[in-house]
Amino acid sequence: MKMTRKISWTLLLAAAVSFTQCKDAGDDVQIDDENELITSVTLKFTEEGTNNTTSFSYKDADGDGGNAPARFDTIALKPNKTYTLAIELLDESKTPASNITDEVAEESDEHLFVYTPAPSTLLTYTYGDKDANNYVIGLTGKAVTTVAGTGTLKVRLRHQPGTKNGTPSPGSDDVNLDFILKVQ
Amino acid sequence: MNRIVFVFLLLIAALTAHAQTSECACFVKGVVKDQHTGQPIIGATVLIVGQNSGVFTDEYGRYELRNLCPGAYTLECRIIGYNPFREKLDLTAGHEENFNLLEQEVHLKDVEITAHRTDAPSSQPLSTISGSDLDRTRGQNLAESLKGFTGVTSLQTGSSISKPVIHGLHSNRILIMNNGVRQEGQQWGSEHAPEIDPFIATRLSVVKGAAGVRYGSDAIGGVILVEPEELPFDKSLSGEVNAVGFTNGRQGVLSGTLQGGIKGFKGFGWRAQGTMKRGGNIRTPDYFLDNTGISEKNFSLAAGYRNKGLGIDVFYSRFDTKIGIFSGSHIGSVTDLLSVIENGEPFVKSGFSYNIARPNQNVSHELIKAETHYHFQNGNRFQWTIARQLNDRNEFDLHRPRNDSIAALNHPELTFKLTTLTNDVIWDHKPIAGKLAGQLGISTLYQYNLMDGRPLIPNFNQFNMGLFWMERYVKSGWELEAGMRYDYRTLTSFRIVNREKVSQDFKFSNFSGTLGATRNFSEKFSARLNFGTAWRAPNVSELFSDGVHHGAAAFEKGDATLQPEKALNTIASLKYASPKFTAELGGYYNIISDFIYLKPQPEPILTVRGAFPYFKYTQTDATFKGIDLSASWEFARYTTVTSKLSYLRVYDTRNDNYLVMIPSNRIDNQIKYELPEDAKWHKAYFSIGNLFVAQQKRVPPASDFLAPPSAYSLWNVQTGTTFDLSEKQQLEIGISVQNLFNVSYRDYLNRFRYYADDMGRNVSLRLKWKFGA
Repeated sequence: MKMTRKISWTLLLAAAVSFTQCKDAGDDVQIDDENELITSVTLKFTEEGTNNTTSFSYKDADGDGGNAPARFDTIALKPNKTYTLAIELLDESKTPASNITDEVAEESDEHLFVYTPAPSTLLTYTYGDKDANNYVIGLTGKAVTTVAGTGTLKVRLRHQPGTKNGTPSPGSDDVNLDFILKVQ
Repeated sequence: MNRIVFVFLLLIAALTAHAQTSECACFVKGVVKDQHTGQPIIGATVLIVGQNSGVFTDEYGRYELRNLCPGAYTLECRIIGYNPFREKLDLTAGHEENFNLLEQEVHLKDVEITAHRTDAPSSQPLSTISGSDLDRTRGQNLAESLKGFTGVTSLQTGSSISKPVIHGLHSNRILIMNNGVRQEGQQWGSEHAPEIDPFIATRLSVVKGAAGVRYGSDAIGGVILVEPEELPFDKSLSGEVNAVGFTNGRQGVLSGTLQGGIKGFKGFGWRAQGTMKRGGNIRTPDYFLDNTGISEKNFSLAAGYRNKGLGIDVFYSRFDTKIGIFSGSHIGSVTDLLSVIENGEPFVKSGFSYNIARPNQNVSHELIKAETHYHFQNGNRFQWTIARQLNDRNEFDLHRPRNDSIAALNHPELTFKLTTLTNDVIWDHKPIAGKLAGQLGISTLYQYNLMDGRPLIPNFNQFNMGLFWMERYVKSGWELEAGMRYDYRTLTSFRIVNREKVSQDFKFSNFSGTLGATRNFSEKFSARLNFGTAWRAPNVSELFSDGVHHGAAAFEKGDATLQPEKALNTIASLKYASPKFTAELGGYYNIISDFIYLKPQPEPILTVRGAFPYFKYTQTDATFKGIDLSASWEFARYTTVTSKLSYLRVYDTRNDNYLVMIPSNRIDNQIKYELPEDAKWHKAYFSIGNLFVAQQKRVPPASDFLAPPSAYSLWNVQTGTTFDLSEKQQLEIGISVQNLFNVSYRDYLNRFRYYADDMGRNVSLRLKWKFGA
């Protein structure tokens, strides 16, 4: 009887010791790694027939939160001109910066860029590329300006895995920015 | 009315009987004997079937029935332990009839009286479900199983994830004690359900109100106790199998328990238990919810040893779940959210499938516990519990990485590994003068969290120590209780800020106290009053959140300067219980100073996905006051009506406003008809009920994208019975229908109310096969 009690106490103590194999959370801090973070969006307008390219960017180097966006350019274009519009997405939180544009191109059947000017008379956008399913993408296209005026250009990247059907409705926003657009 | 007719009939009967006395001089007499032994049977009943006359046999087994009119009679003789015997007689004069009864094989079941040790404060309302009431909730998750209590609701993320809400408080403000160990998971997230298999428990109890002294930090809103049955020491093998099927989600749940002692090893008991669950897409009245399946595999093992005053228990459990998150709830920006709200139903449509795709979460929780106690001869008692928990949570986003080679690895986008070691030592001192009993305890907790993936909350180490002392005084009808506690907590967080490791230290300490009284006016009527304080240190998500909460379309920011919340809870209740009528009325008033909540900021915050509403963790003072009323009345034979009412009002006193996400008031009515017992089946019942949930009208203006959903009313029906298959085997069957009329509704505390309706009609069939002692 005495024996069993002794044994049980020993067992319990042994269990208690084995429980104390503590670890320190501080030894194991991983660099935060957000998959597919987009920190900068650049619109490159090249005037047709020339090599004049003007770039307008949105930049938030540390992603959501932290510091406020460092740059949010106003798009300035000339009236009655035709531009080639290319878009570039980067993740500059990593070194070297990773090019998200390439990855969007790779998975073009899941992505759709949507350019919406307001008022709509400011600019007309025509898609210049198509994916394997013959749906437009929007990595490159044409933008035609008309009369002078001021408004916004909403740039959206719709992520539509498995649901892309050529319309903006399915999926969710990866990018949703309202650039100020001045045609003057 | 019935009573008057009855009295009238009785009078007529008496009159006619009187009128006949002159001619009715017949009698029957005789002796009742045991058929085998020939011994007279004393105290047997001999009665005339169909009349209200009967006599008992005397010490010689004799009986005599006098003043009978001539005619045909059926005589019955019966006594417990013998088969009843009937005889037909034609009486004209006196008659002698002897009975020889045959002994009956009647084995009365052993009556077992078990007492449970519940450490909950005695002056606070403690509600418990067990037995057949608990069986009726089988197959549901923990929070759903608790919804039958007044004052308890649930916070849901769709139909598969829900967590309990007591008096409007949830998550880290509710403490769950799983088999005597405080459940430590990632409780801060509203989509993080408690990782507990309700099949482990044979009793679920809720302590409403602050219970900070006994349980320490976090028990501001209340405590949920999940308790298994006592281990079967020195008993033969027994067990049960539960099978539950639900039509909605075509969900099946199978759970089994096997337990017993060991022959030749006195004082030993063991139990093994396992549960499997599989469900597919949930259906609202009008459409399926894509990717809302669930798959769960849990098991537990327990063993124990008892010898005189010594007891040792070891317990291991593993909970493993994979839950699909409704894909229609995935939004990238506020524009996405607003368009879903405008659409009124999800854009993503699907049929039925068991497949669980992204987004989903895989969570496992492992608990290993060892407990020992020793009762000293003089009445002192010592108890020591150590436990280790590992909570492993993996969340998979809808979108895989764009980079194909990384995507192929199929890693979770977010991983948390939380390890917790707890250690509790409790000393119950011997009762002083038979009136004063108390306990002294120390509990420690060491915890570390490792996370990986999308930045959300930091890694941290946490250490807690609490010291408490409680005394209870019992004297003729009065029970008084007082206690105090001191807690000390350190927290060190580790984050990467601009590629540098930054650590930050926090120290919190707090005193809490409790004071309560119970007065038993009579056996039926009692009253309780309790004042209790509790506290809660801010958790890491409140201190460090910084980013978009995609499920809520909100940018949430923590505040590292937050101070602990402190609650003062006053709770009073009156209880009346008689066989036909029981009622309990409780009122509470809970003041929480420095209540931590998300305060909407005037300016939205700009991200690459657009501008998001900006919320900051802020502190205020809040009051929670409410009434819980439950009553049950057997108004007619076998028929009982039960009503439960929960009423709650919450106010932000510092800002003179209401608070968000407070459950709305509700009333639940059930009427139940229990069939009289039969030899073959028993506990047969049929019930019909209605739950009415009011609209939450007390919300701060402009605090939400959508006004709280309107009121709803749901009907349900249930029926069930128990069969004795053999002496040691029982089969219990239950059928129930929830949301009988397939009503479309949305609940204010369901986070998916922006996207879709709640669950439609759900029929369930429940079988329980119980065998062994």
